Amino acid sequence: MQVNLFPRSAVLPVRAFFAITLLAAAVLFASEHTNAQQSASVAISVKDHRFQPGRISAPANRPISIRVKNLDSAPMEFESVSLRVEKVIAPGSEGVVNVRALAPGRYEFFDDFHRETRGVLVVE
Amino acid sequence: MSIHSSSAAARLFAVLAVTAATIFVSTFARAQDASAFHEVETKYIFGNFTVGSSTGVEGEKAFEPETEANFGKGGGGRYGVSQTTIEYEFTPTQYMQIVLGPTVSYYNIHGVPGLDDRNMGAINGFEAEFRSVLIDRNPSPIAVTLSLEPEFHSRDETSGAKVVNYGLEAKLEADAELIKNRLFWGFNLLYEPETTRADLGHWENESTFGISSALAYQIVPNVVIGADLWYLRHYDGAAFNSFTGDTVYLGPTFYWKIAPKVLMSAAWEMQITGHEPGVSARLDFTDFSRQRARLLLEFEF
Repeated sequence: MQVNLFPRSAVLPVRAFFAITLLAAAVLFASEHTNAQQSASVAISVKDHRFQPGRISAPANRPISIRVKNLDSAPMEFESVSLRVEKVIAPGSEGVVNVRALAPGRYEFFDDFHRETRGVLVVE
Repeated sequence: MSIHSSSAAARLFAVLAVTAATIFVSTFARAQDASAFHEVETKYIFGNFTVGSSTGVEGEKAFEPETEANFGKGGGGRYGVSQTTIEYEFTPTQYMQIVLGPTVSYYNIHGVPGLDDRNMGAINGFEAEFRSVLIDRNPSPIAVTLSLEPEFHSRDETSGAKVVNYGLEAKLEADAELIKNRLFWGFNLLYEPETTRADLGHWENESTFGISSALAYQIVPNVVIGADLWYLRHYDGAAFNSFTGDTVYLGPTFYWKIAPKVLMSAAWEMQITGHEPGVSARLDFTDFSRQRARLLLEFEF
């Protein structure tokens, strides 16, 4: 028996599926384009499970590149809900976290492996 | 106002009063320790019938078994149907999240008028979900995410009969932080067209419209409780062609961030009022179940 999986009445959802795929591609392209702007750089370290400094600043409306040095002997994971980033950084090494352009405000971040280790990014 | 709607309003008022009392008491109880509360991702804090706007963090990957169960139909008998989606969730950018996974269904139906008896489990299709941030929370007080979820099922979600079913669940998922890191409001707008080929061989279209409002309160760090209210309308035809029934679901929600990489989200809701054209019953059991529940576990890796 022949099974017609895509009859005329099913064309709408099939078209919608391809439209979604195109939309997803467009959003991905837009986000990459945004990240292509020149970024502002800030640096921060982790020592004895504390961010140093505990508060960092960056300009508004520009992508931000945060260089994180892990000076501890244990791995850490730089993470932020509001920045929507996470990155595992091995002991004694450093990593770069790229953040989209942000509006002015305070953005919390923390070490997901040691949740008491917290800091804040002030965008102004 | 009819007796039925008065009764529903009274139940709604009671639930909201209990929620408000809980918030009031716990606010005072925890006021001295506000620094213990930090940002939470809002996607699952409303119990997952209403979904929050968060799209996760870039690079995050997670395994998520999610089960929706429906219980009870009108006219007696035993009705229990569950659908579990084994989801793989990943966030490729800071603006988008993708979820993919197969679905497994279980049907336990006995003596329900209009439905064949069935006691079986089956692999039942595949679902995908694309979520994209439309409005960020800062500077806007309200964050909004667009979710598009194409679905394919090989079994009817209600009866378990063999079908070929395509659907597209489109949702606007919005939320606002009413008290920083503590009290959240969620709002969803749903449109879901479906087309189904059953035994008779011809295709039938249907659509569902829905709107929800939910409150979620972080009562202790990493534990969020709340209430969720949904209004759903079902139609024959993909574009709201012929109204077949509506309902209001209301129930509690629970969210627990068990560990940094593990969480659970749960909701249980029951029809508090409903209407089906030509039927005098005050609930709609043709298009909706008496109760529904969702349970999601997330294991990030």
